[in-house]
Amino acid sequence: MDSLTRLDNIRLSKATVSFEDRFTLSEIDWTITPEQHWVITGPNGAGKSALAAALAGIGDIQSGSIQGLPNNVEIVSFEAQAELIAQELKKDDADIMDVISLGTPVSEMIFDHCQEAELAQALVEKFGLSKLLERAFRKLSTGETRKVMLIRALANKPDLLILDEPFDGLDVDTLAMLQAHLASLIDTVPMVMVLNRFDEMPDFITHVAYLDKEREDKERGDKQSGDIGRLKLTVDRQDDTAFNELYQLLHLKTTDLSVPEADPTNKLPALDPSQPLVKLTQATIQYGDTVIVDKLDWTIERGQHWQLSGPNGSGKTCVLSLITGDHPQCYTNDIFVFGFQRGNGESIWQIKQFIGYVSTNLQWEYRVSTSCKNVIISGFYDSIGMYTKSTDSQKKIADQWLELLGMQDRADQPFNKLSYGDQRLLLIARAMVKHPPLLILDEPCLGLDDINRQLVLALIEKICQGSETTVLYVNHHAEDQITGIEHYLGLEKNH
Amino acid sequence: MANYFNTLPLREQLAQLAQCRFMHTAEFADGVEALKGKKMVVIGCGAQGLNQGLNLRDSGLDVSYALRPEAIEQKRQSWKNASENGFVVGTYEELIPTADVVLNLTPDKQHTSVVNTVMPLMKEGACLSYSHGFNIVEEGMKIRDDLTVIMVAPKCPGSEVRAEYVRGFGVPTLIAVHEDNDPKGEGLALAKAYAVGTGGHKAGVLMSSFIAEVKSDLMGEQTILCGMLQTGSLLCFDKMIEEGIDPGYASRLIQYGWETVTEALKYGGVTNMLDRLSNPAKIKAFDLSEELKDIMRPLYNKHQDDIMSGHFSKTMMEDWANDDANLLKWRAETAETNFEKTPAGDVEISEQEFFDNGILMVAMVKAGVELAFETMTAAGIIAESAYYESLHETPLIANTIARKKLYEMNATISDTAEYGCYLYNHACVPLLAGFMKGIKSDVIGKGLSLDDNGVDNARLIEVNTALRSHPVEAVGSVLRGYMADMKKIV
Repeated sequence: MDSLTRLDNIRLSKATVSFEDRFTLSEIDWTITPEQHWVITGPNGAGKSALAAALAGIGDIQSGSIQGLPNNVEIVSFEAQAELIAQELKKDDADIMDVISLGTPVSEMIFDHCQEAELAQALVEKFGLSKLLERAFRKLSTGETRKVMLIRALANKPDLLILDEPFDGLDVDTLAMLQAHLASLIDTVPMVMVLNRFDEMPDFITHVAYLDKEREDKERGDKQSGDIGRLKLTVDRQDDTAFNELYQLLHLKTTDLSVPEADPTNKLPALDPSQPLVKLTQATIQYGDTVIVDKLDWTIERGQHWQLSGPNGSGKTCVLSLITGDHPQCYTNDIFVFGFQRGNGESIWQIKQFIGYVSTNLQWEYRVSTSCKNVIISGFYDSIGMYTKSTDSQKKIADQWLELLGMQDRADQPFNKLSYGDQRLLLIARAMVKHPPLLILDEPCLGLDDINRQLVLALIEKICQGSETTVLYVNHHAEDQITGIEHYLGLEKNH
Repeated sequence: MANYFNTLPLREQLAQLAQCRFMHTAEFADGVEALKGKKMVVIGCGAQGLNQGLNLRDSGLDVSYALRPEAIEQKRQSWKNASENGFVVGTYEELIPTADVVLNLTPDKQHTSVVNTVMPLMKEGACLSYSHGFNIVEEGMKIRDDLTVIMVAPKCPGSEVRAEYVRGFGVPTLIAVHEDNDPKGEGLALAKAYAVGTGGHKAGVLMSSFIAEVKSDLMGEQTILCGMLQTGSLLCFDKMIEEGIDPGYASRLIQYGWETVTEALKYGGVTNMLDRLSNPAKIKAFDLSEELKDIMRPLYNKHQDDIMSGHFSKTMMEDWANDDANLLKWRAETAETNFEKTPAGDVEISEQEFFDNGILMVAMVKAGVELAFETMTAAGIIAESAYYESLHETPLIANTIARKKLYEMNATISDTAEYGCYLYNHACVPLLAGFMKGIKSDVIGKGLSLDDNGVDNARLIEVNTALRSHPVEAVGSVLRGYMADMKKIV
């Protein structure tokens, strides 16, 4: 029988492929070995179909290479389907004889295309197209043309089978039949599918590739135009954790849900809009003779998003803790925050109510055994753990956040049993739940693997969309940029 | 100075001992208002002093630290603690005369000298606050008539006081007003505001008296809390070695076992702790604890009697006067015990295994908790106080043993508790010698390993009824109910 050993690995090396100036796949590194079966997934516009098409030899390779593609590649996609139909219609137009064209019959479309007539015949019966064989291809419904496409591809015994959304528009019986048929091919042909929905993923799929759109970057200004898609992650399906995280990421990227509103029944005190949110004057932090922060002047106006950067030990977290009130030396400095000149009888809880805060440290300190939902609600109280009864309104908002995160089924699970990445997501939701005037994200991606970094960034991006909150972002990773930050403060190591 | 308690008539002694009430959240509606704008000066910048000060300042109060001149000149740790945290630091002479409230957070044994130094400097009508009543009750310190004297005692180590506050919570706190020193009738308002300032009101506040606090605190700490755990650790370890159990395993079973079994105690009292055992093991633990209670009852009575009569504090103060000779000697002896010297082995012990293989430890905790509670209430201490000073605090002390064995426990607790703990241990180890002879590894180290977990119905019902009907369970379930309302995560 067909042995997969006849096939080479397909290897994309820094492959940049453009599609008529509309879309570019950028620097794809990807290897498909013959015994693997892949699903390509990602949010809309990320280039899933483009990547599938590139495997079928479509698109212009601008740089890098695609090697090991077999000669006999079959692709079933909406684009290919549309093209086939367009060709048919063109034939119609091209008909110069004064005869009403009937168009190409289905039988011709199928049997002329493939050499294995017997297999084609069997598939025609399986797909229930026997009665339509004599009908003109262009008279078929969309679902029927899709079936013809599938039969053509399958009957041709390809060495690489690419199926772009193959299950869309199929009735339940056909879908089950197709899935079963594909399953019978797993030892004969590698398959690559584009799927938007994880629950449609056949059991035989071994790997998932996740693509995402590059944020539009006006300063890029090179020859790449239009949207850019990148291969962000590949996940082995055996890895349950990563697989579930990918599922969550896809949810977060594709959900129509937006960030839940603040609690209408318990509004934060209004701030004087003419005052800055934060004003540090000659702020200095010193331990013995060691000066950590030296005479720092810093004003954060409302709506001014800031990025704070600096090497380890430059005092980034110290500066933040002056703002949050967690640093004991905030009483010896000239600090104005949210209408309070510090050290005049205000309590830290009066300060903290205006701040949402996330850091690795917070995660370490958040070691109480409480439910996921309570972790989110605790953001209303700025507490670690819950010590008071929550209101119905708060519970409702927490449920909305869990839904946004795709974690509603984990509402009552203990927080400390979650993965590190999921904990981080919940803590970000906790920080944002009250829609604080200032959201401090202190290295929110620190300690996270690729996929969880993607998750966190997806959530932060969601939060930043149309929010009144001023964001103060601390990060080392240059690639983890957040859209809309225009102000930068760099700290240097003083000691 | 004469023992204050002993100067009171019996009627007054009983009335004071019977004070203890769990306060309602609504009683703290005024927040820190009573202390707002007042100058609070802390004496002592150790764990309690520093951490309470940090909390009070973060609650919007004006806090500074008075230290002895040599501590300032030599930049001692207390000076560093206070100044690096951005507090105003000054000498007694500089700060005390300006203080509206002086917070005495020094160790017990310094109280007499500190108060004698501070009192003449305090302004008319100011407030002096203690976190332990020993100086007033046992030493009979007489405070100037114009001064208000209160007690605010967070029932946790200083580090926890801070950590819980930062989390947005607090630790259970006991407050009291010294009735002889409440000239303006503002003592309670000040104590409540102080408890709010440290976050205590979020975790539950007990309104007590100086006398009830001292007499129950001393009893609890030297018997069940520290004494029983120390004696139990030493006896159980030596027995396991004798029975051929791996020393590393034995050491781990004890070091972390107290914490694990008392965690069950914290959640559901003695009943729940025993419910964690299989039925045959439960009956075994029950029988052992009944036997232990019979043997140890005279010892518990003696401790309570010595505390009530003032004999305990008298002998301890004699040791203070003798440069802590006994305390230091006993501390050194503890460091030399087999248990203390054997590190916990690198073996996995599951949560349930601590119960299954630690039946004797469960029996010891049950016996100690019930005896301490029974003895205290028999001596006139109200059930609420007795509950807090026996059952409630046992898990807190067990946590310290899990951290660094007996050394950590004795380093964390007060010198007073440590002294009493050694007294108990010296009496209890020989007292239990005969009992321990009959102990085998089935109740400590290995577990019962029965083929059949069957028990007699009637016997099981008897044991369960006895467990559930003990008075410490009745008051415990009410108080834990209050606590659970305030603190969802126990």
